[in-house]
Amino acid sequence: MNIAELQAYGYVAAMVILVILTYWYIYHLYTKKKDARGIDYEEYSNMALKDDVTDTPVSARSDDKEK
Amino acid sequence: MENRPLEYDYTVTKMFMFTTIVLGIVGMLIGVILAFELAFPEVNTILGSGVAEYTNFSRLRPLHTDAVIFGFTLSGIFATWYYVGQRVLKVSMAESGFLMFIGKLHFWLYLVGVAAVVVSLFMGITTSKEYAEFEWPIDIAIVVVWVLFGISIFGLIGIRREKSLYISVWYYIATFLGIAMLYVFNNMEIPTILGTNGIGEAGFGNWWHSVSMYAGTNDALVQWWYGHNAVAFGFTVPIVAMIYYFLPKESGQAIYSYKLSLLSFWGLMFVYLWAGGHHLLYSTVPDWVQTMGSIFSIVLILPSWGSAINMLLTMKGEWQQVASSPLIKFMILASTFYMFSTLEGPIQAIKSVNAIAHFTDWIVGHVHDGTLGWVGFMIMGALFHMAPRVFKREIYSKSLMATQFWIQTLGVVFYFTSMWIAGITQGMMWRAHDEFGNLAYSFIDTVTVLHPYYTLRAIGGTLYLVGFFIFAYNIYRTMSARPVEESELQSASPMGA
Amino acid sequence: MFHWLEKHPFFFAVAVFVMIAFAGLVEILPNFAQASRPLIGTAPYSTLELAGRHVYIKNSCNACHSQLIRPFKSETDRYGHYSRSGEYAYDRPFLWGSKRTGPDLMRVGNYRTTDWHENHMKAPSKIVLDSIMPAFTWMFTNLADINTAYAEQLTVAQFFTVPYNQPVPMKDGSTKVVKMGATLADANALALAEAKVVAADMKDQNVKDAIARGEIPEIVALIAYLNSLK
Repeated sequence: MNIAELQAYGYVAAMVILVILTYWYIYHLYTKKKDARGIDYEEYSNMALKDDVTDTPVSARSDDKEK
Repeated sequence: MENRPLEYDYTVTKMFMFTTIVLGIVGMLIGVILAFELAFPEVNTILGSGVAEYTNFSRLRPLHTDAVIFGFTLSGIFATWYYVGQRVLKVSMAESGFLMFIGKLHFWLYLVGVAAVVVSLFMGITTSKEYAEFEWPIDIAIVVVWVLFGISIFGLIGIRREKSLYISVWYYIATFLGIAMLYVFNNMEIPTILGTNGIGEAGFGNWWHSVSMYAGTNDALVQWWYGHNAVAFGFTVPIVAMIYYFLPKESGQAIYSYKLSLLSFWGLMFVYLWAGGHHLLYSTVPDWVQTMGSIFSIVLILPSWGSAINMLLTMKGEWQQVASSPLIKFMILASTFYMFSTLEGPIQAIKSVNAIAHFTDWIVGHVHDGTLGWVGFMIMGALFHMAPRVFKREIYSKSLMATQFWIQTLGVVFYFTSMWIAGITQGMMWRAHDEFGNLAYSFIDTVTVLHPYYTLRAIGGTLYLVGFFIFAYNIYRTMSARPVEESELQSASPMGA
Repeated sequence: MFHWLEKHPFFFAVAVFVMIAFAGLVEILPNFAQASRPLIGTAPYSTLELAGRHVYIKNSCNACHSQLIRPFKSETDRYGHYSRSGEYAYDRPFLWGSKRTGPDLMRVGNYRTTDWHENHMKAPSKIVLDSIMPAFTWMFTNLADINTAYAEQLTVAQFFTVPYNQPVPMKDGSTKVVKMGATLADANALALAEAKVVAADMKDQNVKDAIARGEIPEIVALIAYLNSLK
């Protein structure tokens, strides 16, 4: 098998795997509304809207340290 | 706890806002001069034939592209990073003396780099590779500036309060990594001064001269892998970073779908780099690379439109803001032009279309509806949004903003319509044969036919430049406008009449 | 998965880098060695031609002129045989260009003469009516940089084994030796000898005077380069 054939087989395999992974992940995203911390993924848009230095972070880094 | 309440520190943002405007004027002014030189060749010697070497088209052309890419756009990217980065990570640069120092060093070294580029390009010192014209000493300086930018990004991320990275930060990180990789590999070159050691009389020839590590077809392949993706990581990725922050913030609306932004981000990262081959269709690079470039260009529509649609749907239920706020107009027009040019690009990447479009003005038109419509409008929109918050002043004049918007939109329309017609006309004339199978037109026929379109394009460019002067004036006057209260700065930017 | 990355900037950056580096590896690496083999009949540039190539680059001729003939009848009718990869083996950098404001120059040496170039570079619109190309009058007074060209020859010979002073196969079965000077003085003498041949066909008195003084104006080097494009 020469390099061109290897490339072709590799390409097809990669495409199949990528398609499966992508659709699985999309399905996963749209079914699971909340993450481990109980935050809906869409709430992360608030990082832009409430971005004053005094605003409460959506998921604060200091929460980790307290644990 | 400190006694004074903590505030974001916009010192470095202000510095880069300044260079965005100044270098924007320089780059666009040179662009307008170039446009007139193509329409009226006498303009080449407008300052007399003595200095024609420095005013003619060929010497100015790299200056135009580099001034708008590495001057205007890059400054805009840096300015917005030092603004957006602090805010979405909820950490102030005032909290870290080190990052403040790096930020300022970043600016001043950048300025030195810009000066070196301007001087060297005027002198005709160039490697000839598009958007990578700089010789090796400047390349090294650029790498240093870029590393400082990286330290700023990751330094600020390191001390952040918000654990999760906002979408814009993803795109800024990608900009940093993408340009770093592309720039280094495309600029692999050997200074010729090294070769002179072999004969025992070392040190002759220009010390700054270098020779590319790659030859011919390979050089072309690497160059367009770079050239195409310099557009990706200079004109697309960081501008998407801007719109993901500024549009929701200015309109007060949350992103339509955070999930969609995630999918389009990773999609864009994966797909974009493959598409470089579409610059080399029907050339001597391997066929499969050309086909791959063509296919991935079409696939690229998906992630691009994912972002663009996400932006437009963010305005769902709030479309009246487009009518009432000129600032929202800028951003919505920008994302519309983004959709438009990311559809146009893939069309040009289809092999049979490319056969006509390649080497013609249609390509130039495509670049400019992307840069003028998308990049330019978004950066100006970002500066308009930042100005009141950075200077704590209201925007000097809303009506000037609206005037500027319409003048520039008209300019862009002039630009791309004339270039479409010019490009397709020329492409068709090149390939036309008469009934005996001879070429129907000599080359000069296909040049003279373009004169009216070149003239229209020059007018379009002039309108855009006029709009940019209005913009510069508006920002300048904003610095001395009416001060505003903190409470007025929540979402929509305050504007004077 | 991706959501986790968003909270871990280091791994996020690594993931982005892998994503973007992937395409380059697959597209560029496999054909690298093959694409740069010279075609029979392709010879390295002489010192003067290389100096002319530098003049071409210095003035961004490649901003308006391509050096890539695509395999279409209309292009081969107009410019000659379509381009093949091996013909570019000694081109560092490549000069394909991306815009044809003016015609392709890949094989301009086949159908234009020294005399034509001389007149054309002085006043393009007098030779080609309505041409929008600017005049390049300064090339008649600026001197070509032979030293840098020679330095580049030494560099490519040393680092990329470009065959100077060695026989290179030609299409008709013969061989050609492109000479490179052994010393700087030698290289300048070679370039001057070549320049005299080109200048013999030129009419500009200043150029002739310069050559007589042992100087080589840019235009002479540029024409030598353009004539070599075949």
